[in-house]
Amino acid sequence: MKVAGVGLLTGWGRGIDALPEDSAAAAAGRYVIGIPRPALPSDRLRRATRECLLGISAVEELLGRLAMPRTALAGSRTALLYATASAYAASNRSFIQAAGGALHFPYTAPSAVPAEVAIEYELSGAYLNFLGGATSTVDALWYAGNLLERGECDRALVLAVETFEECADLYRRGRWLTKGPLVEAAACALLLPGGGRYGYASRTSAGDRVRRRAGETFACAPLIAMAAAAGDEIAVGGAWRGRREELRRI
Amino acid sequence: MRDPVAVVAAGVVTPIGQDIDAFWASLLTGGCGITRIERFPVDDLRVRLGGEIKKLDRRPWTAGECRASQLLIAAAAELRSAGAAMLDSSPARTAVVIGTALGGVEEGERALGGAPSLRALAGGLYDSPARNLGRWLGARGPVMTVSTACASGATALGVGAELLREGVADVVVAGGYDVLCRFVMKGFDALRSLTRDAIRPFDRRRTGLLLGEAAGLVLLARVRDADARRAPRLGRLLGHSSGSDGSHIAAPDPNGRGLEYTVRAAMDDAGVTPGAIDFVSAHGTATPLNDRVETLVLKRVLGPRAYDIPINSIKGYMGHTMGAAATLEAIMCLLAARHGAIPQTLGLEQQDPACDLDYVPGAPRAVRPRVMLSTSAGFGGCNSTLVLEGL
Repeated sequence: MKVAGVGLLTGWGRGIDALPEDSAAAAAGRYVIGIPRPALPSDRLRRATRECLLGISAVEELLGRLAMPRTALAGSRTALLYATASAYAASNRSFIQAAGGALHFPYTAPSAVPAEVAIEYELSGAYLNFLGGATSTVDALWYAGNLLERGECDRALVLAVETFEECADLYRRGRWLTKGPLVEAAACALLLPGGGRYGYASRTSAGDRVRRRAGETFACAPLIAMAAAAGDEIAVGGAWRGRREELRRI
Repeated sequence: MRDPVAVVAAGVVTPIGQDIDAFWASLLTGGCGITRIERFPVDDLRVRLGGEIKKLDRRPWTAGECRASQLLIAAAAELRSAGAAMLDSSPARTAVVIGTALGGVEEGERALGGAPSLRALAGGLYDSPARNLGRWLGARGPVMTVSTACASGATALGVGAELLREGVADVVVAGGYDVLCRFVMKGFDALRSLTRDAIRPFDRRRTGLLLGEAAGLVLLARVRDADARRAPRLGRLLGHSSGSDGSHIAAPDPNGRGLEYTVRAAMDDAGVTPGAIDFVSAHGTATPLNDRVETLVLKRVLGPRAYDIPINSIKGYMGHTMGAAATLEAIMCLLAARHGAIPQTLGLEQQDPACDLDYVPGAPRAVRPRVMLSTSAGFGGCNSTLVLEGL
């Protein structure tokens, strides 16, 4: 597989150039670097959660970078693979504590984010969601490579979204477990056939390279690394809850 | 056609049986696991029934495991007793792929109700139960949690098959689980998706589903590896596919676009044509829209052959067990092939004219299917289809 492009939004701004050199210094003591709720001009999305809107915004950012019309993704030949560690926590908490009603409940599912993306861009092809941190994105990239190689799709979107603001007090209790500020992010890579086969590789520190700049972005970290590498061979990795993985060309 | 994958063994914990034999006996005799929910308060809910597991027969876990992990580990204990020769042969090459719609949300619900400890909050993460299972199994290969809502239990088997086909792992424990809790009961209650009547798949009087809790696991291996070890065999996973409707956040696509995609793609993956299909395990939730859409899709994909193929739904026995459902239905297919009988669609008495296929009403059918489809769907337009082969 090869990377056509990466759309990236973080608490630091749009694209890879918005990242500071040192996220800890740039955070200046802030624990969560958030992204405001995107204002998307769609009545259909008026009840969608912030994380859903971030997922759509990441795809919009990708399409803008590649000057692609949104219709280019529609149909069953675009695969959608999604990864997140945390982007369901806000909706789950809201439903539990505010006794949310019928309209809110479907948004508590982790699959709500890719569902809204699939609806927005009329995607009706291969579809998978992996839950966890950076390793789940590595899994999603591996699976996307297989789908492309087998010809089950013509293109694959690998999407990751992480939000922290609504549960910042809970994350703060585990502050000692994370190395940097928690930085909200939404990233989407468009992958195409070609560029060789990819497989799981032995442990390296590839996933750590962007952490210093971006901060802690969980499942978004491998896609941020791909954005930083811009066109180079894919070599991404990361760790989550004691597991460490990397993807390399084989 | 791509390499099939051997289903070496299975383990289940369900409201109608806490091992494979008891599960199958209930399916054949029409045993129903729907009762009033007792484990948490339901008095304020419109519907208070569900497929609740009152007491777990096996307790192989250590203290402190959440209920979701308990169900998974109890199912894994049966799996291990049946497939120990393969499962314990190479921990470094053993992967775990678990599907769930709710993950550890019951733990999160509990933690948010008081002063949450860090451990309790971590338990609320959706990937925690799979991680706990991987630790209990001693698996050192990839441990993945997949979540395609109520299709998760099929998606997990598909991802597990790919790990084997691509040589990432030699043995995969794959399956699904979900537990009943106030969170999900409140949600479905508010959506008015739960019925106050019995669960009646494909019946003209159907008014919705009831929820259940369960875990189902299978042990997967490459066929040549299972052959070399002379491992026992339940059957083979021939093909799979997971796809999206791209239609609605909660309801299925009225045209069944995503489901049709997965049925066709799974049959392509398996290298089978409609003429080869002997049996379909339908998602069959007993919601008005699902059963009609599923019928339309099967007729479109299978053509005239759809009218000749027995189709069942086992939701009436134990409710919709969400992340576990598709795995349990895959296991049911393999048991049907082994025993030469297809369980009836419990609750179906007056067939809906809009659902005009053969849904095995009234009694089990003495048929030995060989190649079978199992279809699943979930919130957000998630769909998944498996193609299985019995022995």
